[in-house]
Amino acid sequence: MKILTMKLTGPTRRAFGAAAVAAALIAGLGATGADAQTVEHPEGFNPDEWVIVASVINTTNPYMISNIEGAEAISEALGIPLEIVNSNNSSQTSISSIYAILASGKKPIMFVNTVASSDAPTIVEAVKQAGGYVTIWWNKPDEYKPQDVGDNFVAFQKHTGVDSGRCGAQALAEALGGEGDVILLPGVQDSTTSKTRVAGFRAEIAENYPGINILEERPSNWDPQLGARNARDLIVKYGDQIDGVWSADDGMQIGAMQSFENAGLLDRVKFASDGLYPKTLEDIKSGRGNNAIVGETFHRGYMASAIGLYTAYLAASGQIVPSELEDNKRESFFKLSCVTPENYEQYLQYDEEGAPAEFVERLIANGPWDTEPVPLVGGGVEVLPES
Amino acid sequence: MTSVMHEDGPRGAAGMKRNGSASMRRLFAEGAKGPIGLLAALVVLIVVFSFLNPRFASIENLQNVLFQVSVPLILVVGATLVIQMGSIDLSIEGIMGAAGMTWILLSPNTRTMIDLGLWAWLIALVLGMSLGLMTGVIYAKLKVPSFVVSLGTWYVGLGIAILLYGNNSLPSLTSEALARWPTGLTLGLPHAFWLAALVLLFGLLISNYTNLGRGLMAIGNNEPIARMSGMPVNVYKIGAFAIAGLLGGLAGILATMQLGSGSTDIGFGQLFVVIPAAVIGGTALGGGEGGMIRSALGVVLLIILNNGLVLAGVDPDYQSGVFGLILLFAIIAVAWPERGRLKVAK
Repeated sequence: MKILTMKLTGPTRRAFGAAAVAAALIAGLGATGADAQTVEHPEGFNPDEWVIVASVINTTNPYMISNIEGAEAISEALGIPLEIVNSNNSSQTSISSIYAILASGKKPIMFVNTVASSDAPTIVEAVKQAGGYVTIWWNKPDEYKPQDVGDNFVAFQKHTGVDSGRCGAQALAEALGGEGDVILLPGVQDSTTSKTRVAGFRAEIAENYPGINILEERPSNWDPQLGARNARDLIVKYGDQIDGVWSADDGMQIGAMQSFENAGLLDRVKFASDGLYPKTLEDIKSGRGNNAIVGETFHRGYMASAIGLYTAYLAASGQIVPSELEDNKRESFFKLSCVTPENYEQYLQYDEEGAPAEFVERLIANGPWDTEPVPLVGGGVEVLPES
Repeated sequence: MTSVMHEDGPRGAAGMKRNGSASMRRLFAEGAKGPIGLLAALVVLIVVFSFLNPRFASIENLQNVLFQVSVPLILVVGATLVIQMGSIDLSIEGIMGAAGMTWILLSPNTRTMIDLGLWAWLIALVLGMSLGLMTGVIYAKLKVPSFVVSLGTWYVGLGIAILLYGNNSLPSLTSEALARWPTGLTLGLPHAFWLAALVLLFGLLISNYTNLGRGLMAIGNNEPIARMSGMPVNVYKIGAFAIAGLLGGLAGILATMQLGSGSTDIGFGQLFVVIPAAVIGGTALGGGEGGMIRSALGVVLLIILNNGLVLAGVDPDYQSGVFGLILLFAIIAVAWPERGRLKVAK
């Protein structure tokens, strides 16, 4: 239908991106050179032949916006122009926009936050044809491995959902003293990310907290309003029997907390989730609802895109040969930190002005697998625990 | 257009000559005659769900359902006016995003230090109405199908919302009074619902007592005849979209208040509640049929169906499928009384 891509650098890039969405037009505004290049490219690598591409699921979700920030920071540091692909929540749009960029003749160094797992093979094949290098984040089919495809599919990277679910379960169960009834708000039901987080939550409860009873699970599609609506319905159904709420991401938790607040129950219910959105940080800081939020996980979209793009750049510039890397650097798990009201302060630095650029600087110094707070911690295909 | 008017249906081109001296009785008669099937379907659902979980029939759940009904109810009033004239307005989600984001950034919030009070409402509503006007003018004057124009407006609205949102954090309401207002109760019912009920009344009055309302129905029935009879067809068309835009803006503000935070996606999913609701209520997409009350009942049916399935504890794996199946049965029940007529469905 429409191709929503943009080719810009500078601080107004996202604003222009929004205008492109608004007009539903193809925006091909001329790329300007990046101005703060900090990296010396190796001999034989001509940055003019390359373009950095970051494909995100949409441009409204805070996580996706953060993905874009990371791509901007790495584009600036490498002095290679950036193109953002806004998939508008559609695999079709994502793939057709990527084809359009590949047709432009430059070779892509690409980060893709896939809309659906099944998009990965199509995108990787296209990038391979164009002589580019791609790193996929979050979703791909388990059996589709970078090792089998070749060097152009540099790596698949993610934070494990199981760990995220376990973090939330521990925090919630501890806050309830190991006894109580909880409800779960997963994301889109068949998404791998949601499934792994739910499995981690359930496994942790089953293994360590027999006194915690899961009343019900209501998928809320990552949508704050659906989270709010399901929470309202569950409040009607269970009343003050609910002691805790776990959501698969902060967006849904924001909605759920509002419903509990409206029902006058926020003071006696505990919440745990994933993502540590700025709004969540504010609520932890202010102690909203009798310190209602008890557990979170920390990872940032800009870190994901920067790691993904830098890994792809290293392959493109010949500084690594993907096929010579060990397996967990091809299918990689990066560290996910459990955040509680006691330790949240140490993560504030990563949301300060200029944090993405600072992270990229350390990333370039330490390499994609050794940069705090998200070093490589494992790899392979994420195994769902039995619960 | 695509449908043949039936004898007890709302007044069309012929009826428009009657002026607005009808009684309140007639105002509601329009709604009461049509939706026997719809009411029956609703009653059956309510009985079954109450049987499955007694809490379904509680006052608390009534308040909950009415709270959830309020946003789509406001939207369906505008959508019904547009659909009655045989057009469609796809822009509501974009308009909601633009107006909701404008409103929250001008009201006490965590992002901007601005509080314009009532002006925030006014500016957001005017923005919504302007977007509606834009759709209406392009549609009426340039004769571009409303489907395409309003699709464009959807993205323009979304674009405005994204620009306002920028790279910054989610704005949240800091005023307790505003955040609590939608759930506050008057006479046992939430304020959000009272607001929606007022809008519905406003829609009924427009639909039944104004030249605009009767004109829209006439356009839906037969636009060339409406034009030949000297009706200002373009003005009515633009008016309908402007009202729909205004109500989209109001719905955006209310949804933002309900969530307590601004979101560019605040309207997400509403289009597929509002348009099916109007159609289930008997507002034919071809125009010239249907009414406000019926559309409102359609909204209530969809919301109750979702709420009831959660309360009944239907496994999430089956919820979508069960929702669809029950909806199909409900639609059959709604359409049953009409099936024998010379009705053309496309």
